[in-house]
Amino acid sequence: MDSFIRERLFSKETKNGLKVFVIPKKDYNKIFAMYSTHYGSIDSEFIVPDTGEHLKVPEGIAHFLEHKMFEMEYGNVFDKFAELGASSNAFTSYTNTTYLFSATSHFEENLRLLLEYVETPYFIEASVEKEKGIITQELRMYEDEPEWQVLLNLLKCLYHKHPVRIDIGGTVESIQKIDVETLYKCYNTFYHPSNMILFVIGCVEPEKVFELVEETHNTKGLTPQGEIKRIYPEEPPTVYKSSHTVQLDVNEPLFLTGFKDIDVGYDGMPLLKKEITTGILLEIMFGRSSELYERLYEKGLIDDRFSFGYEGQKDYGFCTIGGETKDPDTLHKELSESISGYIKRGIDIKDFQRVKKKFTGEFISSLNSLEFIASTFVSYYHKNVNFFDYLKVLEEITIDDVTKRLNTFFDFSRNATSVVVPK
Amino acid sequence: MSEIFEEVGVLDQTFTQKTLKNGINIYVHSTPKFKTTTFCMFIHQNLARETATKTALIPFVLKRGSKSFPTSRKMNLFLEELYGTSMGGDILKRGEIQIMQFFMETVNHNYIDDKSILIKGLTAFKDMILDPLVEDGGFKEDYVNQEKEILKRNIESLYNDKFNYAIERCFQEMCKDEAFSIYKYGNVEDLELIDNKILYNYYKECLSHCPIDFFVLGDVDEEEITDLIEDIFSFERKEITQVKPDFVSKFIEKPNYVEEKQDVNQGKLTMGFRTNTKYSDKDYYSLMVYNGILGGGTHSKLFQNVREKASLAYYAFSRLEKNKGLMLISCGIEFDDKDRAIDIINQQLEDIRKGNITDYEFDSTIKSLVNSYKEAADSPSMIISLYLDSIINGTQRTTEDIIENLYKVSKADVINVAEKICLDTVFFLNKK
Repeated sequence: MDSFIRERLFSKETKNGLKVFVIPKKDYNKIFAMYSTHYGSIDSEFIVPDTGEHLKVPEGIAHFLEHKMFEMEYGNVFDKFAELGASSNAFTSYTNTTYLFSATSHFEENLRLLLEYVETPYFIEASVEKEKGIITQELRMYEDEPEWQVLLNLLKCLYHKHPVRIDIGGTVESIQKIDVETLYKCYNTFYHPSNMILFVIGCVEPEKVFELVEETHNTKGLTPQGEIKRIYPEEPPTVYKSSHTVQLDVNEPLFLTGFKDIDVGYDGMPLLKKEITTGILLEIMFGRSSELYERLYEKGLIDDRFSFGYEGQKDYGFCTIGGETKDPDTLHKELSESISGYIKRGIDIKDFQRVKKKFTGEFISSLNSLEFIASTFVSYYHKNVNFFDYLKVLEEITIDDVTKRLNTFFDFSRNATSVVVPK
Repeated sequence: MSEIFEEVGVLDQTFTQKTLKNGINIYVHSTPKFKTTTFCMFIHQNLARETATKTALIPFVLKRGSKSFPTSRKMNLFLEELYGTSMGGDILKRGEIQIMQFFMETVNHNYIDDKSILIKGLTAFKDMILDPLVEDGGFKEDYVNQEKEILKRNIESLYNDKFNYAIERCFQEMCKDEAFSIYKYGNVEDLELIDNKILYNYYKECLSHCPIDFFVLGDVDEEEITDLIEDIFSFERKEITQVKPDFVSKFIEKPNYVEEKQDVNQGKLTMGFRTNTKYSDKDYYSLMVYNGILGGGTHSKLFQNVREKASLAYYAFSRLEKNKGLMLISCGIEFDDKDRAIDIINQQLEDIRKGNITDYEFDSTIKSLVNSYKEAADSPSMIISLYLDSIINGTQRTTEDIIENLYKVSKADVINVAEKICLDTVFFLNKK
């Protein structure tokens, strides 16, 4: 596909609508596979396709469902993967649920197992109840993680209604309401092959993967499914709240500020372009080579764990900037002044060109990791983006694109700040 | 079921070794597998209270500026022009060895428009390590003062990370009278004793006396790159000090119980054990299998019993500190479940001692260990890290050796190694 980066992508679609992608990497020992559905924690209100029922489900159910997928009538799937010497896992994000394994032997059996268990829901009351104990401990663990809390609180400030303001795992209270029947309804709506992607990378033959998928899917006789209707609340363009502070048992304050993106509602190449453009902009303004970073560091307001990023999905987007600091107020003031300064002055072409080079190199370096390629490809796929278009889109971005983004994105009426302070 | 996929791949990462006249070891592994070239330099020092904080400060001061790049901003501007070459330094702790780690990773020139990227990157790397910014016989004073403050905050911020805090505190309590109790970033109190001149002189001593290993991994010409490094790093050194992980054998009569109260939502239970088995011992492989059966994955007794059966925890695992011969169990639980969790954990330990190990637990453990060693060969940093471990412990094992030896371990071996494992300290992070 791309001779320049020396990777070849093979793809095929099955009759029932599953998209399968394979990248052979013959000199790697492992195979890494991801089976992922376009269904995450924000999909909490929808129309059940076969009955037309309008459903609002408990917060955290997508994540709960992910936990319960590992259970089969015969026992736990983890055990089967362990018997095959593979390591298996899964994760749920705001927008996707992904099941994965990595292995250095028994590739065929592992791949069959992955397909089989993700395609076999088995929920019974006793084990659903038991899982509530485990997930409660998972949620408690996050309650003690200041980095996670500071982000959750920022999203609660940025959004009035959008479900991205709710923790992916839900709350200890909300998960108590989850039952077998609702789990099946969610499964049947979102785990249809046409809403999913299988991505395999490593020492495999693409044809073998396609054959195996065809063979297992042909026996299932799944009927095609119409489009899933997801319902999201109307989100006002303003922030819900401009700041939020909580006390936790920590030594030093943690600061995170963010801007809400209102240029949303589209995916595909334009979304990729927006993401990279925003990334370039943030890097120029707050990166290691910026004057601002140097000044904040020398003043002792930040350390090298200071970070920033942009998260762009079809229906929402936001950036985050922050880290541990001794003085959240001064840091906020410095950041705001610097942003205003950039809006007045604009972007220096040299900075723009240098950051583009940096992004090019970092993209190529990232291809060392099969896990990175797989997880990025999959999450982009759910946004209708081909990950391997990255360099082409990066190349096309001009300084005017970045300047335009600078002038529209950083609107202080859409800025909110979240702080964790020591008790 | 027939295996339709072929199993391809190389297991062995053969590094070509060369020791320079000044004692620096160069290890080069040429492979077209990765799209980057990775350079790592390790300066080894014995972990000791007198030197730990100084050692910890050095990489962070060096990152601040060199003769050619007097500010880190200038250094970063240069690296970004080099297609985002990454460069930096940090501290590792392996048993009772404290290691200054410096790394640099460039994109392989085949993928970009700059044939001299490697030389330019290497020059900057050398600059950071060997040509620091010096004024009046010391590092630049401002940099040292700022980095002292940042290191202080860095040490203190471990408290924010309850998971790692509980693990570190368990080891600290357990090894009170041993150097291992020293945190890899040193002590806040000792920062006061350090100034720019003391630190610079200490660094010069390290460069003269500490063992140094230099790794290169990527699509390079081995001879050419070795010559290049020899040219750059053949500076004058003195007699090299020996460092070793300093394993201690210790059998405990009565385990120590320590509790600390914080305003937290989840209790963190950590248990520290003496394995009385060291990395270079023959039965170290049996210990690896023991640890795998106990808490090394989803197939393990801890995961199955503490999490799956009793639903007490989201995570419950055990892991080895192979250089020091320690084992640690960690889980996050409701505060009131502490005694129940300890009972279940003790039952698992007892079961292994008695030989209550299912074929499933045993076989899955071996397979999972073999799998992780084979997977390690797919990551430049893992390849280097595993090789570094064998250098530190004076046992040059190839991945193939390790896998072969793992297959030789029997249940009886696991029971034997279990006899030597004893609980030393329980640390519980409780609510206020």
